[in-house]
Amino acid sequence: MTIQSVLDKRPVITLDSHLLEDLRVDSLDKLMILSALEDEFAITIAEDDFADVVTINDIVMKLKARGFFEGTHSHL
Amino acid sequence: MDLRDFYSRLSVDESLAEVMGYNPYYQKIDSGLNARILVNGHEMIDLASNNYLGLAADNRVKQAAMEAIKKYGVSLCGTPIATGYIDLFQRLEKKLSHFVGLEETIILPSCYQANNGLFNCIAGPKDLIVVDRLVHSSLIEGIKSTGSKIRPFLHNNLEHLEGILQRSIGYRQVFVVTESVFSTEGSIAPFKEIVQLCEKYEAMPIIDDSHGIGVLGKSGRGILEEQRIAGYRGIYTASLGKAIANSGGMISGEKKLINYLKYYCSHLVYSTALTPAVLAGISSVLDIIHSEFSGIKEKLINKQRQIYEALLEGEFKVIYSKAPINSIQTGSKEATFILNQKLYEKGILSTPFIEPAVPINEGRVRLIASASLSQDTVDEAVAIIKRIGLS
Repeated sequence: MTIQSVLDKRPVITLDSHLLEDLRVDSLDKLMILSALEDEFAITIAEDDFADVVTINDIVMKLKARGFFEGTHSHL
Repeated sequence: MDLRDFYSRLSVDESLAEVMGYNPYYQKIDSGLNARILVNGHEMIDLASNNYLGLAADNRVKQAAMEAIKKYGVSLCGTPIATGYIDLFQRLEKKLSHFVGLEETIILPSCYQANNGLFNCIAGPKDLIVVDRLVHSSLIEGIKSTGSKIRPFLHNNLEHLEGILQRSIGYRQVFVVTESVFSTEGSIAPFKEIVQLCEKYEAMPIIDDSHGIGVLGKSGRGILEEQRIAGYRGIYTASLGKAIANSGGMISGEKKLINYLKYYCSHLVYSTALTPAVLAGISSVLDIIHSEFSGIKEKLINKQRQIYEALLEGEFKVIYSKAPINSIQTGSKEATFILNQKLYEKGILSTPFIEPAVPINEGRVRLIASASLSQDTVDEAVAIIKRIGLS
């Protein structure tokens, strides 16, 4: 939901969705996603730390590495 | 290290143009913006330029430019901080300030430079810049040069903007950046409300009025007049190469800001000043706007509506706009090029936008009908648009 909220006019988002090919995410969209995640999880994200993400699942993995999503990732 | 490696990295992807046998960019124009323009030697209808008021080839403006050349020559061969600051330059700064209703103004060689040069003078890593998702490349590049935290907000979405502002605590300064008219969409920012939000959250508003100056407001003074924003304490930039029909860019605001930029904005300090002909041309356009705006605006709106209705009849997916812009949603870059090419082949020059100028797969073909187009020309454009749409 967090990502969907800043990506209007996009198809359904799944864990396998590619940011570029499927969701047509450009550099500003990516900044909006990171900002929304910062708000949602009350964290600070350095852009460089997320420079290599390609899919939604990559974002989830980055957040898991910070200790989020023990049970669910429904907020995404 | 090999220079061949360097040059091999500089490849341009021209595959789309090659497949179509048509490249819409860098078309050779063989005339001025007259009743018809010559493109590659062919007479065409200009629905591509930003010559909103039709003053680019006005005889009075040409005459003013020629008189300035006679008096000053073609250039002062210096930056404004040195020999470029002629009396004409100083008078135009005051005239532009008065026109938009702000304290002081600096004039740069382009609005791209104005937007690029502004941000790294006023913002740094301790600041936050909140910016509309669809602003122009010049603003994005300027913002990125600051090292500030950047948070885009959904296009013209006040709720999203306010949410970001509510959560933006601990920064030295928060800036909110937007445009008045988004030229690929024709949408207009709810800037009055944005200024109110800025006041509520103590943020600094910055507006690029490039497609609003000379067009919006009851006397053409732009977005601040259009939305009756009194006592604006933010920062204002605009192009002087669209409705103002010359070239250059301006930054206006409070005296303290402008005086600071006069010494610290490297894009101003190190750029050769606008030439006398351009300065006089801008001044002349402002005089014409002052005395004739309502009549010109009426013609502009009338022509935009005729084109809009033709696009609807032609079953194009056209975006309704309160600005004198008709923007067709074409989607993919291929579809965008195809429509632009069809118009070109039938005698209409239009502007195609593909990524990265617009988000991926949100291509647009833009049509701007100048106030100076004759009714015959508009009739012909209308007929062509309908034929293409229904074919």
